[in-house]
Amino acid sequence: MKKIYNIIWKDTILRFSSLSELLFFLILPLIFTFILAGGTGTQNADNRIRLLVVDQAQSPLSAQIIAELAKSATVRPDVLTLSKAESEFQARNASVLLVIPADCDSQTLRTAAIVLDLRQMPDNLNAQAAQRAVQAVLYRLGSAVSIAKNAVTEAEKLRSFASELDRQAYFDTALASAQSLMNSAPDRENVVMGGTIDPIQYDPRANSSAGQMITWVFIPLIGISGAFAYERQRGTLRRLLTSPTGKGTYLLGTILGNVLWSLVQMTLLVSFGALILKVHWANNPAALAVMMTTSALAAAALGTMLGTFVKTEAQASGLSIMLGMVMALLGGCWYPLELFPAVVQNLVKVLPTTWAMQGMLDILLRGQGVIGILPVAGVLLAFAAVFFVIGILRFKYE
Amino acid sequence: MRKLLLIAFKDLKLIFRDKAALTFMLLAPFLLTLGLGLVTGAYGSSGSSGISQIKIIIVNQDSGQLGQALVDLFQSAGLADLVAPTLVSDPLTARAQIDANAAVAAVIVPAGFTDNIIPANYQAPAADILQIEIYKNPLSPVSAGVIQSIVEEFISRVETGRVGGQVIVTQLLSAGLIAPDQVSAIAAEMGQLQANSVDQAPAISLQAAQSGPAQKAFNPMAYMAPGMALMFLMFTVSNGGRSILAEQARGTLPRLLVSPTNSAQVLIGKIFGVYVTGVIQMLILIVTCSLLFNIQWGNPLGILVLILAAVFAATGWGMLITSIARTPGQVGNIGTAIMLTFGILGGTFIQNSFMPGWFQIVSKITPNAWGLDGFTTLGLGGSLVDLGRPLLGLAVMGIALFVVSILIFSRRSFAQK
Repeated sequence: MKKIYNIIWKDTILRFSSLSELLFFLILPLIFTFILAGGTGTQNADNRIRLLVVDQAQSPLSAQIIAELAKSATVRPDVLTLSKAESEFQARNASVLLVIPADCDSQTLRTAAIVLDLRQMPDNLNAQAAQRAVQAVLYRLGSAVSIAKNAVTEAEKLRSFASELDRQAYFDTALASAQSLMNSAPDRENVVMGGTIDPIQYDPRANSSAGQMITWVFIPLIGISGAFAYERQRGTLRRLLTSPTGKGTYLLGTILGNVLWSLVQMTLLVSFGALILKVHWANNPAALAVMMTTSALAAAALGTMLGTFVKTEAQASGLSIMLGMVMALLGGCWYPLELFPAVVQNLVKVLPTTWAMQGMLDILLRGQGVIGILPVAGVLLAFAAVFFVIGILRFKYE
Repeated sequence: MRKLLLIAFKDLKLIFRDKAALTFMLLAPFLLTLGLGLVTGAYGSSGSSGISQIKIIIVNQDSGQLGQALVDLFQSAGLADLVAPTLVSDPLTARAQIDANAAVAAVIVPAGFTDNIIPANYQAPAADILQIEIYKNPLSPVSAGVIQSIVEEFISRVETGRVGGQVIVTQLLSAGLIAPDQVSAIAAEMGQLQANSVDQAPAISLQAAQSGPAQKAFNPMAYMAPGMALMFLMFTVSNGGRSILAEQARGTLPRLLVSPTNSAQVLIGKIFGVYVTGVIQMLILIVTCSLLFNIQWGNPLGILVLILAAVFAATGWGMLITSIARTPGQVGNIGTAIMLTFGILGGTFIQNSFMPGWFQIVSKITPNAWGLDGFTTLGLGGSLVDLGRPLLGLAVMGIALFVVSILIFSRRSFAQK
C-alpha cells in the first residue's frame, strides 16, 4: 500500500511540476464548457434571416414598417446606416438589404406609389424568403391607401370631380373608412404549433458540461501512455527492476493516481456546471459517482494500453490529444450523437466516450438513477478490463 | 541566403520524419474534419445557400376561388425554388405528417372560406369568421415562418379586396353616385373586382434586385476543413518554435554558431523552416480534402495568397510563444493550449457569427478567425480582390508578432547561450 501511495505521490509531483498543467486540468475545460454551453450569450439565438435596413426617411411610416418587420417570424431587421449596411452586405454578413427611401411618408403615399429598394444576393434562397416577408408587411401597410385610390377611380368612372379639393376630400374619406375597416378586420389566420417531438435530446448546458468533462478527462488519462514512455525513455522504469516492486504494483499505482486526479478534476467541472451553468448534476449523486469512476477507469485503461504501443513521450502527447478529441467528437461529446448517420451511430459504439456520454446524459436529461445507468457502466468496465489486460500483457520495462 | 535555405530544409526534413508531429499536423485535422462532416451530414448534400424547397402540405377544402388562388400561389413558378407543396385532402393526415416531422407546415383552407369573405349577392358577411390554419412544425421555425409570411400576404390581399369593395360601394352611395337600388348590382361588380384584386399592385412596393457579390452554393465542409487546418497550423508553428529551444537545450545551437553563421541567420533560417512547414501542411490538407471530400475551395490564387498570409500570422504566434517560453516543454504545453483556445475562439467549433459581438472582437486576435473569414469568402465565390480585410488583418498580426518576438529574442540574447 505504501508503495502504491509513493507511486501516486511521485506521479502527482511530476504532473503538476509545471503550472501549465493547470491549463489542461482546469482552465481550458472551463473555457470550452462555458463557451459551448452558450455562457457567453449567443448573439443570434434569434435565428430569423438577418435583414439589413437603411431608413433614409426617418418618418412615422418608415418606423411603422420597421416595427412590423420586427414582428415577422421570418426576418430580423437590423437598422444601419447606408455605408455600414452596404459594407455588411458586401462582406456577405447578410443576404438581403432593404433601403427605405427618403420619400417614404404618409404624404407621398396618398399621391404616388412608394418603391422600396431590396437588394438580394444572387441565387440566395434566404433572400427570396426575406423578400416574401417584406412584401407581406408592405402590402398590409399600404392596403388602405390602395383601397382609397380604387374608390376614387371607381367614382371618377361615374362622374368627374368638380375640383381637386373634392377629389382629395373623397380620397380622405375613403382612406379613413378603409383604415377603420382594415384595423377592425377579423383575423383570418390561425397559427397552431404542431406536436413534433424533437428526436434530438439536447440541452446546450447539460451537453456541454458532460461532453467537455469527458473530453478533458479522457485526454490526460489517455496521456498516461506518455508517462510510461517518459519513464521508459529516461530509464527509470528499468531501475524499478532493482527494487522489490512488481509490474502490477507499478501499474496499479500509476493508474490509481491518475484516476484519483481525474475524479478531482471531474468533481471541479461538475461543481462548475452545477453552480455556474445550473446543470442538474445533483439529480442522482450515486449514479454520477458510478459514471465518473467507470469512465475514468476505461480511459485510464486505454492510456495504459496505448503506453505499450507508443515509443516516445512526444508520440504519446500528440496521440492522446488527437485520440481524445476525435473520440470525444465521434462519441457525441461535442455535438449530439443523433445528428450522425445511423450507421455511424452504431459504429461509434466501439468507443468508450460514446458510452460515457450516454451515461452522463442518462442522468442529466433522462433522469436515470444507478439502476438505469448500470448497463452503460458495465460496458465501460468491460472496456477497462479489456484494455488493462492488453496493457499488462504487453507492458515492458524497457 | 543559401545558409537560410539549408537550415530551413534541415528543419523541414526533421519535422516530416517525425511520426508524432505528422500525426498531429495531418492526421488529426483530417480525422476531425471527417467527424464534423458526419455530424453536419455534409457528405450527403451538395451544399445550400439557405432555405430551399420547404416541404409543405396544403389541404384545400374550399370550393371557391380564394382557396384555389392560394393553392395556385404555392404552386406558382415564382415559388418553385422556395416551396415544395403537396396536396392532401384530409386535415388530420396533414397535421399527422407535421407531427411526424415530414414537412415544415400544413396550410389548411376550410370549406366555405371564399363565401365567408365574399358573400354571394352582397349579403351580410357571416358572423362566424373562417380562418386558414397554419399548422407549424416547431422544429423548423424559420421555414415555417416563411410559409406564414406567404399566407399572411395572401390574406392581406384578400382582406384588401373585401374592405375595398365595401368602401367603394359605401362611398359611391353616400356621394350620391349610385342609387340605393343599384347597390346590389354594383356590389356584385365589386365582388368580382375584389376577387381579382388579389393580383393588384400594392401602394408600397418593392423593387427587388440581385446585386452584390455573386454567391455559390456553400458546402459546409469548405468551412470546417480550413477551420481544422488552421487550428492544427498553430500546433505546427509552436512545434517549430519548440525545436528552436530544443536545439538550445541540446547544445546544437551553440555548435552552429561555431560555423561562419551568425545568430540572426540561424533564427531566420529556423523561422523560415517553420513557415514553409506550415504552408506545406496547409497545402496537403487542402488538396487531400479537395480530393476526398470534393470541396470547392474557390479561387486558387486567392487560396494560395490566403494560406501564405495565414501561415505568416500563425508563425508570428509561434515565435512569440517561443520567445516567452523557457523550455521546449513549455512551448509544447502553451502551444497546445493556444491551439485549442484559438480553435474555439476562431470559429473552428462554433461559427463566430452565432456568438456575441464582444466574442467576435476577441476572436480577431486569432489567425483562425481572419483565415476562416477569407476561406468562407472564397468558398462563396469571392476572388483575391475580396480578401482585402482578412489579408490585411493577417499581415498586421504577423508583422506585430514578429516585431515583438524579435525584441524579446534580442533581449534574451538568443543563441548566445
